[in-house]
Amino acid sequence: MAVSPPSTMLSTIQSRDIPFQGSANARSPLTMTHADRELTEQLNDDVRRKYVKDKKLGEGTYAVVSLGYLKTDPSVFVAIKKIKVNAEYKDGLTMDAIREVKYLQELSHPNIIALHDVFSSKDQTLNLVLEYLPRGDLEMLIKDGNIQYGAADVKAWMGMLARGVWFCHENFVLHRDIKPNNLLIASDGEVKLADFGLARSFADPYLNMTHQVITRWYRPPELLYGARQYSGAVDVWSMGMVFAELLIRVPFVAGNSDLDQISKICEAFGTPTDDNWPGVSKLPNYFPPDRAHIIPLQGRDFFVRQFPTAGPVGADLLMSMCALDPRKRSTARQILSHSWWSTEPKPTKKEDLPKKAGGTKKMGDDMGRRVGQVDDGLFKNAARQLHF
Amino acid sequence: MAANYWVSTQRRHWLFSREGLVDVREKLREKDKLSHTQFPLPDQRLLNIYFNQQLTKLGKRMSTRQQALATAQVYIKRFYTKNEIRHTNPYLVLSTAFYLACKMEECPQHIRFVVGEARGLWPGKSDVRITKRPVDFITSDVAKLGECEFALISEMNSQLIVHHPYRTLSELQPELSLTSDEVALAWSVINDHYLTDLPLLYPPHVIAVMAIIIAVVFKPSQTSFHGSGPPPLAGAMRDGAGMNILAALGEKGASGPPPRIQKLVGWIAESEVDIKAVIECTQELVSLYEVWEQYSEKTCKELIGRVVKSKNLDK
Ligand SMILES: Nc1ncnc2c1ncn2[C@@H]1O[C@H](COP(=O)(O)OP(=O)(O)OP(=O)(O)O)[C@@H](O)[C@H]1O
Repeated sequence: MAVSPPSTMLSTIQSRDIPFQGSANARSPLTMTHADRELTEQLNDDVRRKYVKDKKLGEGTYAVVSLGYLKTDPSVFVAIKKIKVNAEYKDGLTMDAIREVKYLQELSHPNIIALHDVFSSKDQTLNLVLEYLPRGDLEMLIKDGNIQYGAADVKAWMGMLARGVWFCHENFVLHRDIKPNNLLIASDGEVKLADFGLARSFADPYLNMTHQVITRWYRPPELLYGARQYSGAVDVWSMGMVFAELLIRVPFVAGNSDLDQISKICEAFGTPTDDNWPGVSKLPNYFPPDRAHIIPLQGRDFFVRQFPTAGPVGADLLMSMCALDPRKRSTARQILSHSWWSTEPKPTKKEDLPKKAGGTKKMGDDMGRRVGQVDDGLFKNAARQLHF
Repeated sequence: MAANYWVSTQRRHWLFSREGLVDVREKLREKDKLSHTQFPLPDQRLLNIYFNQQLTKLGKRMSTRQQALATAQVYIKRFYTKNEIRHTNPYLVLSTAFYLACKMEECPQHIRFVVGEARGLWPGKSDVRITKRPVDFITSDVAKLGECEFALISEMNSQLIVHHPYRTLSELQPELSLTSDEVALAWSVINDHYLTDLPLLYPPHVIAVMAIIIAVVFKPSQTSFHGSGPPPLAGAMRDGAGMNILAALGEKGASGPPPRIQKLVGWIAESEVDIKAVIECTQELVSLYEVWEQYSEKTCKELIGRVVKSKNLDK
């Protein structure tokens, strides 16, 4: 599907990077016999360069992403994600980078972005060679007023998201940052879960984890209350928020502080109490609600009214993802066996899904927009500021 | 442990056959026979004991999770299947493996802290006769460690997740109704298996079953953990009786052993664990405990010191 871009677009600057794999003959820098530079150069000469780095595609908090292609076959595109140096871990790799490599190496699934290769560059940064996903992300589709989409499309997108998340959870991996702009779209329309910089394993049940994960609008109440032990249910809540947002095309619960987020969740879904969520009052950041303002738990009719496009069965699925008590929230596996998927309308075939305007050709323009967007969510990356 | 062992990079890329492992090492030796004569090193297992003790010291100073130490040891093993130890500074490899493993196991340590501690632990020597200047085993330049991190990741093809037997052990505890003493003993057997090649040769669940069998069958009188010598288990394993029981494991419907052990035998027969592999692992452990008698920290330290110093002399 990858089309060779016009040659003007490619200035064909050889990347000065050293492929990670296949450096068997190179002397390792671990020997102290040579100076660093000398060794790195030696490596540089010794190994064949596999990828050519091309124009910049975009920039995130901790990485710069460029288009690249195979030197031996320029029609094969990749995205090269170059990890920026983190001041905190100066001279070492950031936890984000480590996590991304760690999990993407092991998780191979059609709805999870593929990691093809990893290599280091001269300035001691790590480069991840990722599957190239040229059709933007779900956030762009949601926000683009020129794009019309309906229940069948939402069903297709949610299905792909649910399969990706299910696969992570089956493998004891929590993504911990599910949101529309981390759901990238392949040229064939397949949605792929990307950005595993906050992911972690939940196989050790007694290990505490930070509650400072997941971008606020997608963060579940247990994390807002400071829970240190949690499960796949945190990702399920985020999925529910993505589902709701796909349906109404604006973030459903958009707080402007953690406190505001909690009160908006209460307004939307009901106030958590020990009755509807046994043990909630024991969570570290829980505060007792104002007696006068206790909002009862919302029932099915609320979801049906609020999200008419989903239909009653879809509303039921959404409700099961938005249970305040994480133990009552459905699991990824339960989500996949919900009857919504087999109810009319059938999910749209991925080839027929609405696309952002222009496809690959207008990539440059689109990326301009994306880069500009980085600052507009002031709290967007709060989660990144904290480590592990 | 994350992800699934059966589709893991560990199973696909880091599981060697015995012959394969011998081969890989022989090739490394062939490439530089000279340094092998110049720098004799003790048995790999004795070196592993030394590395393990050094890592444990480093870990203690920084209160790390046991799992991170285990991961670090596997990283070191993987790395030395691709690199001749005599071409490296083992102290740097150790510190780097430790630093990376801590991040991998979600208990990260600051790079400066690791370097500082490592320098304190391995100050090197000022051997004026040879070098006319002090030799630092670990330089104060943290970028060195950062660079080594790349090299380590690179040599491991950025396949970083290591599956450990500890998890299988905890899962099997209720199923086999193991006592806490048995679990503690099995746990220490798992710790010991990192001193051998077993992590490169067998899947973690085989190791876990081996550790459980040893704990149940041999149950030494004292379950205290060893200091510098081989554990009390070594004696128990040598006196034969247990080995006979073990041999009987392979035979169907073995009679004789006490009910506690019969239950275990029954479970193993029903599970799909490769009993032959389990027995091989046990033998590996027995021979580890035998070779352990010869362990001398001083010798290891000296021989490795020579390797490191020769690298510095090259500068
Ligand atoms: N695999 C890919 N294919 C095509 N474009 C990509 C790919 N990965 C990332 N991009 C582009 O590069 C930009 C930066 O990506 P990156 O993952 O670093 O940050 P982000 O997810 O946008 O932000 P943050 O990491 O701060 O949450 C993305 O917004 C996207 O436009």
